[in-house]
Amino acid sequence: MKIVVLTKAAVPLSSAIKIDPKTGTLVREGVPLTTNVWDRDAVEFALKLKDRYGGEVIALSMAPPSGIPALESLIGMGVDRAILASDRAFAGADTWATAHVLAKTIEKYVPDYDLVVAGEETIDSTTAHIGAQTASWLGVPYVYYVYDAEVKGRTLVVRRFLEDEGIDEVYEVDMPAVISVLKGSQIPREVKLSRKLNAREYIQIVSNKELGLDPECIGLRGSPTLVAGMAPATYPPRKKVVIQGVPSEVVKKLVEILKSEGVL
Amino acid sequence: MPCRLWPPINKEDYRGVWVYLEREGERLKDVGLELLGKARDLAQKLGGVEVAGVLVAGGEELAREAIYHGADKVVIIDNPDLKIYTPAEYAEAIARVVQKYRPEIFLIGATKRGRELAAYIANTLATGITADCTALEIDPKTRDLLQIRPTFGGTQLATIRTPQRRPQMASVRPGVFPKPPRDPSRTGEIIVEKVEVAKRRTRLVSIEKRLEKDVADLPPVESSDVVVAGGRGLGTAEGFKLLIELAKLLNGTVGASLMAVRAGWAPHTRQIGQTGKTIRPKLYIAVGISGAIQHLMGITEAKMIIAINPDPHAPIMENADYAVVGDYKQIIPLLIEELKRLKNQS
Ligand SMILES: Cc1cc2nc3c(=O)[nH]c(=O)nc-3n(C[C@H](O)[C@H](O)[C@H](O)COP(=O)(O)OP(=O)(O)OC[C@H]3O[C@@H](n4cnc5c(N)ncnc54)[C@H](O)[C@@H]3O)c2cc1C
Repeated sequence: MKIVVLTKAAVPLSSAIKIDPKTGTLVREGVPLTTNVWDRDAVEFALKLKDRYGGEVIALSMAPPSGIPALESLIGMGVDRAILASDRAFAGADTWATAHVLAKTIEKYVPDYDLVVAGEETIDSTTAHIGAQTASWLGVPYVYYVYDAEVKGRTLVVRRFLEDEGIDEVYEVDMPAVISVLKGSQIPREVKLSRKLNAREYIQIVSNKELGLDPECIGLRGSPTLVAGMAPATYPPRKKVVIQGVPSEVVKKLVEILKSEGVL
Repeated sequence: MPCRLWPPINKEDYRGVWVYLEREGERLKDVGLELLGKARDLAQKLGGVEVAGVLVAGGEELAREAIYHGADKVVIIDNPDLKIYTPAEYAEAIARVVQKYRPEIFLIGATKRGRELAAYIANTLATGITADCTALEIDPKTRDLLQIRPTFGGTQLATIRTPQRRPQMASVRPGVFPKPPRDPSRTGEIIVEKVEVAKRRTRLVSIEKRLEKDVADLPPVESSDVVVAGGRGLGTAEGFKLLIELAKLLNGTVGASLMAVRAGWAPHTRQIGQTGKTIRPKLYIAVGISGAIQHLMGITEAKMIIAINPDPHAPIMENADYAVVGDYKQIIPLLIEELKRLKNQS
């Protein structure tokens, strides 16, 4: 099994978020990035498949060079090698342009892949687009929210959970395929420091010179969507009446409010 | 020169606002109907263009239901093979029909299945898509759809456009827009399209309902006027029993924060917030909930918020109409008693 795991070097905390005032996109240079939490589930999932069926697990990420430490810790987790697609020309990409680079990198550097595994979504942009878009670019079938899988020849039998309908489904998917891993469904293994120390040797950095993608189809220019504005989120004004005192008085006031607001 | 992988289009050829009508068995999910309501609003701002729905392998009854809720036209994708949902095949069939009719805007409910389909459809159509929009507007100058979504942990609101491509696509969570009233006197056109799909590469083997014990025999959070929600501050599962009793007295239902769900006090279907349900009740009572931004994102449309919390500086208190400073263990039982007394009087 040759498994590519898509991982994003994400901004871990909302307090670390900086927005480029010109493009409205996230500033990732100079910000400490760590692997998106839900991608650790994806990495764990891929490593478990490798434990069972053998093969190779390759982490793939598109990020500025500040994304390297995130990949180093994935190597520490047991990933065999990593590819970082990194180029200034990729900056400002929306999910279409990001999936484009990821898919073309897979086609060029891991053409004999059996499976692409993605996390369910990222914590900093929560779109859940990349898995499906990468599948579309690669022209292969895909299934989201998977928490278990079994290999039967060229078929992957997956179990997935649809949270909003409360149902489990089992699908057979022809490989190669793309799956996304249900967030919170795996317990990611620990990072081995000894492995992490030499991690840099296992990371290959590719730029657009090697990939040769049309500059009009990558980064900000290659993004069909455009961030036209960014504003801090505000919430509708509330009355902010504070009610305090002994519980019986508080309850009396609450009942009055419920009556005057027409709830009772 | 735009990207050569984007087939050249003529924006004027694209007209109308379309909605994907997701089925759950033999009924339509509410989110599709909610989007039809929003679609009507957008269509009017675009000069009274057509509102249409796409339904995969559904009956005419369902199409009529969509018309009663605001569609002028419904296209049913007729292919017995597609009775059974699989993502790539569904996405391809939907994309094919959208390609043919060329709407200016195409909206999808961001249910779990909707999220699975949306980006693949967008890619097939070589267009952009914005996930989980909480507001949609029209720029009258360019006719661009302004796709507004919270991002970066809900701290920012981004406005996104798709200036060069059509259709403009957005997904929207259930409950974000109100469901329009049902008007059985409305009429519209139903079109049946035979759509062939390539050989199946994904096959459904089995489906199982997860037996999830709900905390109460109460309506879902997204359809109740009154929601009494509990958080980690309840301390125990017993606390939820009090909330259930209160909810019943107020003809409402119970909801929960992520932490209460994690604690196992309520099922995920009752979770409110960014990764749970978006609700718009008349009254929201938050008990033992701190009001993290991800939680607040689910309740911005509540008409009135009452918070009960001993910590006057908890964010929920800043975002409440009535911030009750106190311990729920003292307040809720007394409130229940008082409401019962009132009920017996009338
Ligand atoms: C990507 C992401 C998505 C998320 N999505 C969601 C989501 O959809 N929904 C959601 O809710 N959260 C979500 N969260 C989690 C969120 O950030 C908070 O952790 C969570 O909402 C906190 O839950 P809580 O308010 O119940 O618990 P806490 O933050 O622990 O708050 C408990 C509160 O109870 C009060 N309290 C204590 N004792 C009492 C008492 N006796 N009576 C009354 N009050 C008392 C305390 O003062 C405190 O304010 C998400 C987080 C992330 C990172």
